[in-house]
Amino acid sequence: MSRVSHIPNLGGARAFVLHRPHATVSAIARQLAAIGLQVVDCWPELPAEALAADFVFFDVDLGFDQQFPWPRGAAPMPTIALIGSEAPGRIEWALSHKADAQLLKPVGNAGVYSALLIARQSFAARRRLADEVAALQSRVAERQTIVRAVTALSGQGFDDERAYAQLRSLAMNWQVSLEEAARRVVAMTEKEGGVDQSHRA
Amino acid sequence: MKSRIEIGVLYSRSGSYGLVANACHAGTMHAISDINADPTRGIELVAIERDPGGNIDRYAPLCEEILRQSKARHVVGAVTSWSRKEVIPVLEKAGAALWYACPYEGFEANEHVVYMHACPNQHLVPLLAHVVPRFGADGFLLGSNYIWGWETNRVARDLIADAGGKALGERYLPIGETDVSRLIDEIRVTKPSFVLNNLIGTSSYAFFAAYSELARTDPHFGSERCPILSCNLTEAELPAIGEAGRGHLSVGPYFRDGSSATSDTPASSFEASAYASVMVLAKVLSANPGAGFAELSTAFAGASFATPFGNIAVDPRTQHATLPVEIGRISGLGFERVSHIERVAPDPYLSRYDRTKTFGRQRLKVVS
Repeated sequence: MSRVSHIPNLGGARAFVLHRPHATVSAIARQLAAIGLQVVDCWPELPAEALAADFVFFDVDLGFDQQFPWPRGAAPMPTIALIGSEAPGRIEWALSHKADAQLLKPVGNAGVYSALLIARQSFAARRRLADEVAALQSRVAERQTIVRAVTALSGQGFDDERAYAQLRSLAMNWQVSLEEAARRVVAMTEKEGGVDQSHRA
Repeated sequence: MKSRIEIGVLYSRSGSYGLVANACHAGTMHAISDINADPTRGIELVAIERDPGGNIDRYAPLCEEILRQSKARHVVGAVTSWSRKEVIPVLEKAGAALWYACPYEGFEANEHVVYMHACPNQHLVPLLAHVVPRFGADGFLLGSNYIWGWETNRVARDLIADAGGKALGERYLPIGETDVSRLIDEIRVTKPSFVLNNLIGTSSYAFFAAYSELARTDPHFGSERCPILSCNLTEAELPAIGEAGRGHLSVGPYFRDGSSATSDTPASSFEASAYASVMVLAKVLSANPGAGFAELSTAFAGASFATPFGNIAVDPRTQHATLPVEIGRISGLGFERVSHIERVAPDPYLSRYDRTKTFGRQRLKVVS
């Protein structure tokens, strides 16, 4: 198993701070610079370059959806909500943007480093989960293909159970997923009117 | 007429790490008297001293007392990271600054603190980079049970893994604990390539003594084969360790060079760092007697300060000093120089750490 270094290498990472000019921005910028990040502050909009940022801090008090070059909740990097007023509507808005971490204003001498690490980890976890869900969904969507492949194979004189076993063994021989094997079987059936068993390795 | 400026001095001159605190205290007082004796300086420093006596709960109230009862806005003091973290809220509330003269575990850059001794890229990283190719990469990690040991060992675990080794064990003792028999038993059984010692004070002295007994019965544990590594051990504590220290390694910004030493040469890096702290502070205050914590970063920008470490800079972004890095081997009551790097810029968050640069490319493992 490969091992990933745990020393959080943040040197040279780029952080955008979306907040009107304010002491909060300088407090965050100071901490980010001390940690070794490059800081870009902007208001009222995140420029397109922000799409390539490693982190985005965004103001919750005065924030609105149109500030972001991505749809609500679809930030392609870890984001950190800067919360001043704890009005429920504002918190709800921050949640709709799926902030990965939060910092309470006023920002003092600490807090940014833990926010970076927490945001990075929860963003990675969220993305991993989303990838997994997408993969599972696409497999579920292939159920029909599998049924068609099994039907095609059973048309060759196997019963359903043996047809399914046959599909699995094709997948193994071709070293592809069951779904991919099913797609091939269906494609061959459609093209040639049958499965060419010579495809077996 | 010199302008009088009060500065706080907050060291525990008794208690289990008293030797270190006394070294820092000596450096502070020496620098204050040098400044005051210098007719070219426009300032006279007056020390407002408090001694927490090694009691962690006394730091915050005594620091507050200094800031309340005097005009001091700068405090030189604190040895353990625990005590530094205790006084930070007081400094933040009062708008004051701490000049911290001891090595620490990094991952902090508070604008109320000036970090004048080494952080991990100036101690642990170069020490392991030196040791791993010579002794091996498998370490046994020890520490006193507080943040210095925990965090330094955490970084060490990662470094050891990056070097292709294993942390064979990790053990902590309460500050002041001197029963080290269990540690010794575990080290004997696991036979590491080195022992990383983040114990402090009397626990550390007891460990050195017991380890040298172990080496007598098992030659694997001789300092030339399986050294004890320390990131905070200086001449100040060698009298308490004696012959048991011989041959073991430490890293720091300074070791006393006996051959060219005069009575003014600092006796240890703690003393040198405390001396340097007061010298840097004095230069800042000479230019602006009212300078508080908020003026420090501007005062550090582009400036160079004459100190026992040579002419050094203080990074205005992190308020950490650029320092030499020296590895020394204990010999009697001093250190023989093993390696020396003139200046290493501080990287308290290890943001520029590069595993390939530190340990070279690892050999490919055979995958069967």
